[in-house]
Amino acid sequence: MATSLSYREKTLYASLAAELLVYGPYFFFHQQNSVNKVAGMIIAIIALQTALQLIIAVLTRNRVTDERDRLIELRGYRAGYLTIATLMVVGLGMLWFHATFGQLHLDSRMVGLHFLSVFFGMLVIADIVKTAAQIISYRRAL
Amino acid sequence: MPVIRNQIRELRTMREMTQQELADRIGVTRQTVIAIEQDKYSPSLETAFKVALVLGVPLEQCFQYDPRGKR
Repeated sequence: MATSLSYREKTLYASLAAELLVYGPYFFFHQQNSVNKVAGMIIAIIALQTALQLIIAVLTRNRVTDERDRLIELRGYRAGYLTIATLMVVGLGMLWFHATFGQLHLDSRMVGLHFLSVFFGMLVIADIVKTAAQIISYRRAL
Repeated sequence: MPVIRNQIRELRTMREMTQQELADRIGVTRQTVIAIEQDKYSPSLETAFKVALVLGVPLEQCFQYDPRGKR
């Protein structure tokens, strides 16, 4: 039986594509952190998301969302929250370990930028997990 | 076997109603009707009552609870 994608599913696939397209190169190919790069990435993701959501909204005739969509959305947020909470605990643990036993000097000039990058990375991972969890929930029994 | 089974597909096809028509009348997406018919989603009580109302049958004719079922 053909099960074409609902409006919400289409927007989720678009979100995931935009997130991977923008965040992927930043986290895997960048050489040096900078506030400008992070700001540029935020602007890029907002612009890309807006454009994609607009195109989907225009092309999709039936934009109804229902109780199942809302349940799946909540499941996604739960997965995202658990991810960011776990990453925070692990990240803070690693920070403490490196500051206590390693070479990390908290008065270093670059620490602020590293913190920004790491915490932004956590947010990005949590967001990708949230979107992916929602996509998977649409394919699985609830 | 799922906890809650249903006969929506049979009842719907007997009335020559499409999934989209049923979805429109109960206020959900066609994908949700598909998920319900495939026992992949148990609807809320409100939606279950709406389905029974639209199909013109008692609730227990649409949905059956199986205490030995697994979700």
